[in-house]
Amino acid sequence: MTADILLQTLASGVLIGLIYALVAIGLTMIFGVMDIVNFAHGEFLMLGMYASFWLFALFALDPMLTLPLTVLMLFAFGVLLYKFIIRRIIDAPMLSQIFTTFGLMILLRGVAQFLWKPDFRSIENSWVSGSVKVLGIQLGQPQLVAGLGAVAVTMLVHAFLTRTKLGAALEATAADKEAAKLMGIDSHRMFALAWGIGAACAGAAGVLLATFFPIFPEVGANFILLAFVVVNLGGFGSVTGAFWAGILVGVIEVMGGLLLGPQYKLAIVLVLFLAVLMFRPQGLMGKA
Amino acid sequence: MMTNPLKKGRALPAVGGLVALAAVLLPVVTHSPSHLNLAILVLMTAQLGVAWNLLGGYAGQVSLGHVAFYGIGSYTSTLLLLNFGLNPWLGMLAGGLLAALLSLGFGWSCFRLKGHYFAMATIAVAEIVQIVFTNWEYAGAAVGLTIPMDQRGWGAMVFADKAPYYWLALGLLALTLGATWAVERSHIGYYLRAIKDEPDAARSVGVNISRYKQIALSLSAFFTAMGGSLYAQKELYIDPGSVLTTALSIKMALVSILGGVGTLFGPVVGSVVLTTIEEVTRATFGGTGRGTDTIVYAALIVGIAVFYPSGLIGWFREWRQRRQAQQAGTGKPAKNVDEKVDEKAEVAA
Amino acid sequence: MQHQDKRRSVLQALGATLFGLGFGPAARAQVAEVKIGVIYPLTGPAASSGAEMKNALELAADIVNNGAKGIKDLPFAAGGGLPRLKGAKIKLVFADHQGNPQTGATEAERLITQEKVAAILGAYNSNVTATASQVAERYGVPFLNAESSSASLTARGFKWFFRTTPHDDLFVHNFFDFLKELEAKKKFKVGAIATFNENTLWGNETTKLQAKLAPERGYNIVKQVTYPAKSTQLTSEVQTLKAANPSLVMQSSYLGDALLSMKTYKELGFSPDMILANNAGFTDTEFIKTLGKDAEYVITREVWALDLATRNPLIKSVNDLFQARYKINFTGNSSRTFTGLMVLADAINRAASVEPEAIRKALTETDLKAEGLIMPWQGVKFDATGQNILGRGILVQIVDGKYNTVYPFNLATRDVTWPMPKWDQRKAG
Repeated sequence: MTADILLQTLASGVLIGLIYALVAIGLTMIFGVMDIVNFAHGEFLMLGMYASFWLFALFALDPMLTLPLTVLMLFAFGVLLYKFIIRRIIDAPMLSQIFTTFGLMILLRGVAQFLWKPDFRSIENSWVSGSVKVLGIQLGQPQLVAGLGAVAVTMLVHAFLTRTKLGAALEATAADKEAAKLMGIDSHRMFALAWGIGAACAGAAGVLLATFFPIFPEVGANFILLAFVVVNLGGFGSVTGAFWAGILVGVIEVMGGLLLGPQYKLAIVLVLFLAVLMFRPQGLMGKA
Repeated sequence: MMTNPLKKGRALPAVGGLVALAAVLLPVVTHSPSHLNLAILVLMTAQLGVAWNLLGGYAGQVSLGHVAFYGIGSYTSTLLLLNFGLNPWLGMLAGGLLAALLSLGFGWSCFRLKGHYFAMATIAVAEIVQIVFTNWEYAGAAVGLTIPMDQRGWGAMVFADKAPYYWLALGLLALTLGATWAVERSHIGYYLRAIKDEPDAARSVGVNISRYKQIALSLSAFFTAMGGSLYAQKELYIDPGSVLTTALSIKMALVSILGGVGTLFGPVVGSVVLTTIEEVTRATFGGTGRGTDTIVYAALIVGIAVFYPSGLIGWFREWRQRRQAQQAGTGKPAKNVDEKVDEKAEVAA
Repeated sequence: MQHQDKRRSVLQALGATLFGLGFGPAARAQVAEVKIGVIYPLTGPAASSGAEMKNALELAADIVNNGAKGIKDLPFAAGGGLPRLKGAKIKLVFADHQGNPQTGATEAERLITQEKVAAILGAYNSNVTATASQVAERYGVPFLNAESSSASLTARGFKWFFRTTPHDDLFVHNFFDFLKELEAKKKFKVGAIATFNENTLWGNETTKLQAKLAPERGYNIVKQVTYPAKSTQLTSEVQTLKAANPSLVMQSSYLGDALLSMKTYKELGFSPDMILANNAGFTDTEFIKTLGKDAEYVITREVWALDLATRNPLIKSVNDLFQARYKINFTGNSSRTFTGLMVLADAINRAASVEPEAIRKALTETDLKAEGLIMPWQGVKFDATGQNILGRGILVQIVDGKYNTVYPFNLATRDVTWPMPKWDQRKAG
């Protein structure tokens, strides 16, 4: 195991971890603001991938070009989903919420298969393809761009939350819904916003993934468990936490797989995750 | 319809008795193997839901990793049978005991976690168990284990016919229901309710929360594992993909919430509805390959979760109360409150 | 009165005699259609393969029922149903097992007991075939399997299970036969071998066979890498392979991972002398379509290839039919499924009955010649375990965006290119 290989693997781990982080950021925001665990989050990813694909296949528009459009579409979809379904379970018991989003997960996968068939799709020869050598490490261009894109989106979201009034309102609702209401912040608007941003982030991750990952109705299943782990590890509700936890999980998965055997890579992540929960149940950056 | 048997009223126990009788006699009346099979699936899923409910409904600890116990039960009885020739009846018991034992470690490490964190931890544990079995040569790894068909009959717990499996499933469900009912009436049930509704008050009165949660967990694990052994003996083939998937964990919890968590027969009702829908939609639409049955099934899950959060039993109770209030003429809300208080007093006795 | 009575009783006697001779309407009911149950993954992870196989089945049934103009060597091309059952048409009853063994068993039971199918065809996924065929065995209904390659399926001592496709044991032997013959032909020695497989029933079994056979044939496996299904990336896996520096990689992956792994090979600059794949993902229609030039030079086992048509024109004519209808060519999977239904139709026809035992007996007596098949087999003949012993696998190499048969050498349309050019040595574009 040369230093070369270790370094290469580390880089790959960071890059995929950034994708996990981007998916998790949306998930943690939804939880932070309204205490709902969204099992259907992987499907936002899937829809983002399909949106990119169809724009590419039908209009020959590169995913990088259509990224803003796709993000907007997913945002709208998230808001609609909130308005028509999630709104009704805001105050329902946790179990009801879990099963609503779980049912949505199956529903969205089923509809995707119904509309677009189960065949695998992919985007070939987009603007980002091929590999590039950075500091002696060979990286795939799509992966690199995806990683950088994830960083950019995270920074945008963070800026939104900390520097805008709307963002502050969102944080306030997350901290204390009732108090925020007393200050004139409409909870439902905030929830819709959170849901929209959550979907948009996962959708963005989907677009970035679509340049190198196969697209099929069940693709969300590959990412959702890791996304949950990242959210938990970072601390439910913490965007910064999700970011760093994402990178951590990506690195652990890849390095663990390399050093201990790829068939165990997920188990390694989960064991470490449980260990952290044991000693720091609120996650790395969650509120105690 | 079946509801809490402690409720006063003469009609319900009579109806309940009739239903039980019908359930026992079903295989005598129906000979269609497909229909019997559907009934068996309903019973098996119901049994798992009732077992889950001990922890999830009565103790309020939402586990989404219960399939770990199911898989442990399946694999234990099967491995003991294949490698040591141990009778599946004993193997089933052994599986249950092993699961209960392992649940001790699980509870000790995870019970300090709250709400969503606990649920995530359970998912993580179950996924780890699946990965372990997928890579464990002795347990067949990804290839799985096959139980031979050559020995049949009650001794070997392998049957060519459907009816014995039906009675087996019914018996196991009755056993699990009985255990739940016993817990519900005992002081354990009383403490569990206290822990679920008012944990701080309970702690301040000196109730050892961990101890009672552990009891609920161990019982729950025991019965879930037995369900796993039954599956192995029925399908005669197990692999990590069929007895250790998170989707199964979700299903165990799903039937309880659909029917009504924390109620005795909630999971049974939930299973009747869910399993029937699942099987019927697949039989009707599955052949087209468009996935229509999945869409119908999912839409129903969402619909019930959104519009009936207290489950079908909860909905039924509310409907009855409203009807009784209407019949009383003036719809006195106080009556409902009194009823609830009466219930609690009855149960606490 | 008496006169009428007498006439009536004479008529009754006559009717009874005729009835006894089998000319009466109720005696042997004219079978208008033969119901065949087909259980495939129509939803779930293998759904895209399931869809292709459904197409193949519908084409085969259509040919039997309505004929295929101008294709002379194909059995039943005249159409009009099954001749020895007085033109009874084939009716396919589809069921979706969703990749779940218990669902497969449930559906098999439903097809047998409620739909009353005469036989069952299925199920692609080996673990579902295991449980579904067990149900058929319990009920005494013929179960024909056309695609599952797990060797253990015919080792269960079943009476009602028949498999037309060759299985993994044979395919793995093929690999090593190929290597030996190639070494002799090209005068070189294959170096270290690494295996790379998905951690599922099929991937594991195939790799076990490879690991067992390699040392027996004098080959050295230096590394076995297993990865979990549904991975999001295969970096650690490929890095591990790279570190082991094998000259040959034997890979067993379904489509998603096949694509992901090839892209990762390129990304990390991993280029062994050869990748020898066990079809599945590598022979899926999407594989070449997605990877384009990056798929070149991979050798994979196959069961069918379009270029075999040069030796057997029947292959082209039937493929043209398939192409015209579904806009894609046959693959190893769909061609086997097509053949499976044809074999079953042949057996039911020879049995001239829809009674399970008659069909089973007819199946055991199957003896189809190579000319009437679209497969590169020597024929179809089942041994005592229900396995077709005349089946054969081939090896194909992807060159110029097509699958070219390269082995057996007497069927090859192209010479093997070995080793694969390294990534940076390949032509751009």
